[in-house]
Amino acid sequence: MTTQAAISIQQLNKSYQESGQQHAVFNDLQLDVKQGEFIVLLGRSGSGKSTFLNLISGIDPPDSGKVIINNIDITALSEHDRTLFRRHHIGFVFQSYNLIPTLTVAENLLLPLELIKRVSRKDHDHVEELLAKLKLSDRLDSYPDRLSGGEQQRVAIARALIHDPDVILADEPTGNLDLDTAEQVLELLDILVRKAGKTMIMATHSQEVIGKADRVLSIQNKTLHTR
Amino acid sequence: MSTILKRSSRNFLWQHPWQLVLAILDIALGVAVVIAIDLAMESSLKSFNQASQAMSGTATHRIIASDGGLDEKLYSRLRVEQGIANLSPIVTGYVKLTQPDPDEDNFKLIGIDPFIEKSLHSGWQSGQPENSTRDLLTRLLTEPNGVLLSEKTAQQLHLQINDQFKVVTDQGTQQLKLIGLFSVNDAVSEQISAKLIITDIATAQEVLGLFGRLSSIDVVIEQDDPATLAAIQQSLPGSALLVSIDSQAESMREMTRAFAINLKALGLLSLLVGMFLIYNTMTFLVMQRRRLIGSLRLLGVTRQQIFKLVIGEALLLALIGTVVGILLGIALGQGLLYLISGTINAIYFRIDAATLMITPFQLGKGVLLGISATLLAVLPPAYEATQLSAVKVLARSQLELGSRRLIKTVGLASILLILGGLVTAWFSGQSITLGLASIFLILFGFGLLTPAITLLFTKIFERIFGRFLGILGSLPVRMVAAEISRTGIAIAALMIAVSATIGMDLMIGSFRQTVAQWVHASLPADLYVSILGDKMTAEKARSDHHLKDEIAKLAGVQMLSSALHTKLIADNQLTKISVFELNESSKQGFIFKHNVADNLWSRFDNQQTIIVTEPYAYHHAVKIGQKIRLKTDQGEQAFEVIAIYADYSGDQGHLAMSRQNYQRYWPDLGYSGIGVYAKDGTDLKQLESRISQLLTTQQTVKSNQGIYKASMEVFEQTFTITETLRWLSAAIAFVGVFSALMALQFERTRQLGILRAIGITSRQLTVLIISETGLMGLIAGLLAVPVGFIVAYVLIFVVYQRSFGWTMAFYFDAGVLYQGVALAFIAALLAGIFPAMKMAQTHPAEALRTE
Repeated sequence: MTTQAAISIQQLNKSYQESGQQHAVFNDLQLDVKQGEFIVLLGRSGSGKSTFLNLISGIDPPDSGKVIINNIDITALSEHDRTLFRRHHIGFVFQSYNLIPTLTVAENLLLPLELIKRVSRKDHDHVEELLAKLKLSDRLDSYPDRLSGGEQQRVAIARALIHDPDVILADEPTGNLDLDTAEQVLELLDILVRKAGKTMIMATHSQEVIGKADRVLSIQNKTLHTR
Repeated sequence: MSTILKRSSRNFLWQHPWQLVLAILDIALGVAVVIAIDLAMESSLKSFNQASQAMSGTATHRIIASDGGLDEKLYSRLRVEQGIANLSPIVTGYVKLTQPDPDEDNFKLIGIDPFIEKSLHSGWQSGQPENSTRDLLTRLLTEPNGVLLSEKTAQQLHLQINDQFKVVTDQGTQQLKLIGLFSVNDAVSEQISAKLIITDIATAQEVLGLFGRLSSIDVVIEQDDPATLAAIQQSLPGSALLVSIDSQAESMREMTRAFAINLKALGLLSLLVGMFLIYNTMTFLVMQRRRLIGSLRLLGVTRQQIFKLVIGEALLLALIGTVVGILLGIALGQGLLYLISGTINAIYFRIDAATLMITPFQLGKGVLLGISATLLAVLPPAYEATQLSAVKVLARSQLELGSRRLIKTVGLASILLILGGLVTAWFSGQSITLGLASIFLILFGFGLLTPAITLLFTKIFERIFGRFLGILGSLPVRMVAAEISRTGIAIAALMIAVSATIGMDLMIGSFRQTVAQWVHASLPADLYVSILGDKMTAEKARSDHHLKDEIAKLAGVQMLSSALHTKLIADNQLTKISVFELNESSKQGFIFKHNVADNLWSRFDNQQTIIVTEPYAYHHAVKIGQKIRLKTDQGEQAFEVIAIYADYSGDQGHLAMSRQNYQRYWPDLGYSGIGVYAKDGTDLKQLESRISQLLTTQQTVKSNQGIYKASMEVFEQTFTITETLRWLSAAIAFVGVFSALMALQFERTRQLGILRAIGITSRQLTVLIISETGLMGLIAGLLAVPVGFIVAYVLIFVVYQRSFGWTMAFYFDAGVLYQGVALAFIAALLAGIFPAMKMAQTHPAEALRTE
């Protein structure tokens, strides 16, 4: 693990409007995440875990404050530039897998690469290798709806890693899986992300994952608390 | 059904206002076009009937005559010798006012007999107190050149009682005096009386130069008394005919029947497109609620209740859509009325003032049509809703798998429909309705086949796009194929509208080419003199002959030909006839539909023979060698049909005979036109100028090129209504495709959110969605080409031939096909722009939250 801060969150505020009233989600959030650190984020449903991940990825802009990733303040970027940043530097794993239903397993993995560069034979080989590691070699040309939940989530993890991002954001990746499968998926995430030295923030309810994390944070009263 | 259950469903609709509005719009537009056509067509015919009945009042019959009119002695003979009292002689003609604007429309001048008029209770008297009518009629008798106008017309012309005003007729400028005003008590009568001048018969004869002539005689025959009918029939000369007022209206309706059926078919085409779209929208609304319906089923709501829920909802949408459609239809009908009455004026008969008349029956038809079309379109999705599982909400992909199975089954049914359509076209005999029904079956069949063919197309496109544009490039193709149950219907609706457009374009193009060739061939002379004017006037024949003699004397004139277009009585009906005086060159201008004998023209000139146009032969099932009996003053005379020739000047057709033959039995009415053949080397411009110096304002001279151009302008004008309706159905398809695309994009909000989350920019997303919609348009366009071709074939060789009796050659114009494909592609691209922009602007975080 290196000591350099990969993600720096400074005085981040976010609120949303409902029925004409402003509701604060976060007040002055502060957080430094080191390169290669694995952070687990806990919190009740509706506490703002998904919003927090969306702010880090630049999907959602904050009301004020900064999100600095690899020395780039993404809050200062335009929406277009934030998308380009996300394309290169962020990998996403969602609770409901969110694979593109109209693309095969291999194509779901190739799409993030194609967004960055011209896909070569080497990239196809890389996809096949990664899927082999995830024991999905025989599912290369299958469409997502033909896969089990566990298989879909493994493909989603592969998609999050395929373009070698700096940061992996996982939003309750085991929320839709049974216990055994959830354990396998977490194991896989831990191995792949740790091995690759990636920074990962995972929002979860799962207690099993806490033991694997470098740091456990929770969102309470609109701020982050270390546990 | 439980109010809360209904509310659970209705709340969903309120939460999707876009889809709600577009669903209502789909229904409304389909209904609007049908209603508009029906209202405009019926109103045109009713306006004609009401205008003609406005002066007939309680009259039951009318004695009408050919262009020469009636001798007024007939009136005296019937009255004095036959003792028929209830007769009302009428003289009508058209005049122009010198003020305020001489280019304004013509006014109809009607001369009546004030003695008898009161008892007829004709339309203009409807708003008058009895004393006032009596006074007005008395003043008409006593005041020279006195006329009556409606109060509103007088107001518009700034005329007051005792004011004098001038009118222009064939006889020159005449002075009239306004002696009284009449008021009418309804909007229709107001419209009819707006361009009406009433005067006594003597004044009308003087102003119009119709001394001793009558236009018609209205008769009241109590209970169709056979003795009176026989007495009148016996007294009528060869050029006159006794018709019942009702049958006259009926014959006008019959004359325009084919035109009306074709127009109504165009309206139904819009409804067919609309039905596809209603089906699409309702399916969307059901499928988007599969989670809600699943939950309701879990709570114990039965399949029957779900079915009722969906049908009830559709009924509500249908009611709102139909009401909106009827209102839109009335507004649209007002615009179409002008076009339809214009076309009827150009090719059938004169309608002086057309007013949109709305009857409860027509509105009822609209309501029934809107509701039944919606319910029919909503039955499949309503059934689909009942099949949704209570315990497991099907994933979208599973639903699509089911759809693909359905597409295969429907594909087979659609082939049967197409074959059924082709067989119907082949065996439809003389029925126009069956001919049109065959087109509907073919279009509907291909519409149902469209999703299956779309899947084939996407396989081809996917290979091409995948190879050259990568995964992102092939994604639009995948999206079309993956959601075929939604995209397929939108493509089908667009395909139907575009193929109908291609079909009609090819048909109109073929027709245009045929007519152009015919007009060219029919104009062998260098210059044509057209002679208008009332054929009833005694002066006309004399002045026409004088003009012809003068033209013949001009330097550079080699020879002349002439034509008189008038009407004779055949089979107790006024029948159009052209009376020709032909020379060797003008004989070359006839295109015969069969081989003709060498002695044709000598028989035409010297024997009791006629030739008939193709539409006449078709409508009256006339064969060569058959005899047609024509009424003359010397009794009926039989004329042998010796040839059938091409003529596209009217769809009812007419007879043609030599002038020699005509003059043997009928009075000289002068000419309608004179063909001038110049000697070689003559300066045609100079000759034209010399001829024009001989002409009055009622006469014009034009080169054959000028006539050709004018004829083609009339041709284009008669198709304005068809073009307009075609564009309307294309517009409906556009709105439908737009609504389908909007719904489709809303449904895949989350999927698009994922793409944004993994790094697709909003611009790339816009391109992605527009590419998908463009692709849908391209597929619709490509499929529309062969379908349009089949439609054109059936239109040309089945429908139009049966409707109008014309045969025409099929002229293939590749440009029409390219335009069709481009139309579908551009329409879909445009329809995709707004949904694409909306989706691109949707915040990815919000999109990801969407379920």
